[in-house]
Amino acid sequence: MGQEERHTEEKVYRQLRANSLLQEIMLRYMMEGQAASEQGKLAWVTSGFPVEIPVTMGVNVSYPEQYGAIIGSQKVGPEICGFAEELGYSQELCSYARSSIGSVRYPEKSPLDGLPKPQALLACNNICGTVLRWYDAVSQMTGAPVFLFDTPPTEGDQPSHHREYVRQSVLRLIDFLSRTFHTSFSEERLRKVGELSGEAIDLWTRSLKACRNRPSPLNCADRFLAMAPIVALRGTEPAIEFYQALLEEVQERVSQGLGAIRDERIRLLWDDIPPWFTIFRFFNGLAARGVVFPADTYTHAWSGSLAGADLLDSVVSVYSNVYLNKGLEAKVDKMCELIKEYSLDGFIMFSVRSCKRYSLGQLVSKELVMERTGVPGVVIEGDMVDSRLFNDAQIQTRLDALLEMFL
Amino acid sequence: MSYEQVTVQSNSQTLKPTVTDRLTMGYVYPHAPLEIIMAHGLTPTLVRARPGIAGAFEASLQTFACSYTRNLFSQRANDQMPASSALLFPGNTCDSLLNVGDIWRVRFPDDIIFRLTYPAANQGEAAVHYLADELRSLSQSIEAAFGRPFSEEEFRDAAGLTRQFRSAAQFLYAARVVSPQVLRYSKLAALIHTFLLSPDQKSANEITNASTQVQRALARSRLLDSAKKIQEQLIKRHLTPAALPHGAKSPRIAIAGGMIDPGAIVALFNAAGIPEDALVMDLFSFGFKTVFTPPCEVGRDPFDSVARSILASPLEPTQEGLGVRLAFLKDVVTNLAVDGLIVCEQSFCDPDEFEAPSLEAEASKSGVAVMRLPIDPELSDRERLGVRLQSFLETISPRSGR
Ligand code: SF4
Ligand code: SF4
Repeated sequence: MGQEERHTEEKVYRQLRANSLLQEIMLRYMMEGQAASEQGKLAWVTSGFPVEIPVTMGVNVSYPEQYGAIIGSQKVGPEICGFAEELGYSQELCSYARSSIGSVRYPEKSPLDGLPKPQALLACNNICGTVLRWYDAVSQMTGAPVFLFDTPPTEGDQPSHHREYVRQSVLRLIDFLSRTFHTSFSEERLRKVGELSGEAIDLWTRSLKACRNRPSPLNCADRFLAMAPIVALRGTEPAIEFYQALLEEVQERVSQGLGAIRDERIRLLWDDIPPWFTIFRFFNGLAARGVVFPADTYTHAWSGSLAGADLLDSVVSVYSNVYLNKGLEAKVDKMCELIKEYSLDGFIMFSVRSCKRYSLGQLVSKELVMERTGVPGVVIEGDMVDSRLFNDAQIQTRLDALLEMFL
Repeated sequence: MSYEQVTVQSNSQTLKPTVTDRLTMGYVYPHAPLEIIMAHGLTPTLVRARPGIAGAFEASLQTFACSYTRNLFSQRANDQMPASSALLFPGNTCDSLLNVGDIWRVRFPDDIIFRLTYPAANQGEAAVHYLADELRSLSQSIEAAFGRPFSEEEFRDAAGLTRQFRSAAQFLYAARVVSPQVLRYSKLAALIHTFLLSPDQKSANEITNASTQVQRALARSRLLDSAKKIQEQLIKRHLTPAALPHGAKSPRIAIAGGMIDPGAIVALFNAAGIPEDALVMDLFSFGFKTVFTPPCEVGRDPFDSVARSILASPLEPTQEGLGVRLAFLKDVVTNLAVDGLIVCEQSFCDPDEFEAPSLEAEASKSGVAVMRLPIDPELSDRERLGVRLQSFLETISPRSGR
């Protein structure tokens, strides 16, 4: 056991060695983004965007949602969101959007001096309808054009006319990128990028699945941090490098019977985005009470990889069928499935005021999941970036009530 | 069944299939395919948020659902919703409505719910084909649920009816731009409302008669040509400076806001003691959006035709195109001699709240005074909002004299 591990062993959780590689890779990615922006080759993308297409066409990407997570983690959410509110954006709006707009207004007052300036804004509404409005606002401020990749929400199987429409979106995207960045598309290159993307997703999924073990080798905060490359670097070599290292460490933990937390007693499911500004305090506080989260609905959302003879068709399938683009029924099914597969004792739903698409409906899904699985759950309300919307005392009371059920 | 036989349904207590020969389909989003619904022998009826509804949503919706959907949900939970045989929810228009549609199905499992998912991108012909297929599948679902097949004849009648209604209402909008006192805004709102609640020959004739009377009045004051020109320009969404009568009253106010009910606007103006003449135009609201939707053509594939008509509605239903909306706003405030713009926002409405700062900035750039007005369907703050409105009007009075 290394020096570092011995040190952290005394804490309630075990620090991942792979985190230092993660920091290195993400720093490199930020610097590349800056350079790309200076060369006029940077697009901002939403987390569910078919990023393999711009990457194939030599366009670098930055993720404002991930930057929102950084703002949250650095506990400056209220201040940066406040800049957007000064511009007239309501505090009721998504705090990723507000913090992004605020940092565009005052990059010099924002972490890392803001995200590098974009030359295009690529929004896909498979995660929510907010992203288009948000990017429209940024477009007004930066002059970068917005492209909307429209994936109408689906219920059950995706009908053929939906598929055809989304396919037309792919073609329109290729055309938009060609014109905006004076670049071209090659199917062969997409296949290569798709393979890299698929490999990273496969490695990531194996790490997630390893959490079915008891004790779970990863906790919520581990996965929320480790998901950064799957969001931001899909289709690149560094993502594979990181997920290989992560999987090795996870497997090592499993074979040694080491859990993410020292004393695992209660296994819960987490639903929704985490409160970034208190991520360690929150999850470690629960870890101290023996609570681990072997699964969550958020990091399990990146699962499909591009493959098959018709790659564009594969883009259509993967990106139309993301978790948030489906109805309430599909979300309930997913939660039930995770509870069963990961042998979970209950669940916590974080009702994120920012995010209507993810959170509206949790009161109903909570009842349905409890009914179908027989395990208890609780809804707590707050926000992921804006700590003004997080009432710690109220949340702790709710959590206490849930945990009492397991004593 | 002819449309004359369709009667306005009174507020009965539950959402249940009615036992008369008249089936109704409540719709929430203004760009509903009226002609397709009517072709199945159903009456489309706009479901609106209403004041005076006690909250009954708390066990199902969090408080950050928009005030509009909270109101609808409470109406239903309190059994205060006008009866209809089915409800049509939209998909891909805003997150609140999408999710609330799902929650509704769980909470009210006996309600017959349809969903029509719109394209959000301006994707030309691909969007038309997509929406036409959505309409086709809606039509099949209606037939399966009610056993009423699509009737070409009823479709043609319905297309004629909406054409008649829109043409009359468009003219009235344009007439009020030229001469706001020629027809009270509340009267126009009521005429539109009556048709949207029950699109039949009676309600279409009512608004046509009002249009004829206004035409006569404008002809007498030699303003008819001017109004007709504005109507044409609004249809084409390309305006030139309007010819207004000498001594036209000031200030001239326009209202913006996605889901603002004209009735709510009237109530606010009344609460503030402001004459309705000051209100010359509502933009982006139920009234304007619905009225300026171009008619669907008959004699071709009905689904394709209705899809084209809906997608050519002004400024919506596709969500893409803030630039176009801002350009239109600028066009309106500069060419229609608007002195002040009131931007209404439903609380927790993403589309309204995201767009408001841009609308405000655009109108201010054109030298127009702007006020943002947070509003909820219950008009819970009516007195305070009235006072704000009043002081806003006082600040812009000195700008008169255009
Ligand atoms: S509304 Fe939700 S899904 Fe959309 S950007 Fe905000 S947090 Fe993400
Ligand atoms: S008020 Fe806004 S959020 Fe609510 S249903 Fe209407 S558009 Fe959607």
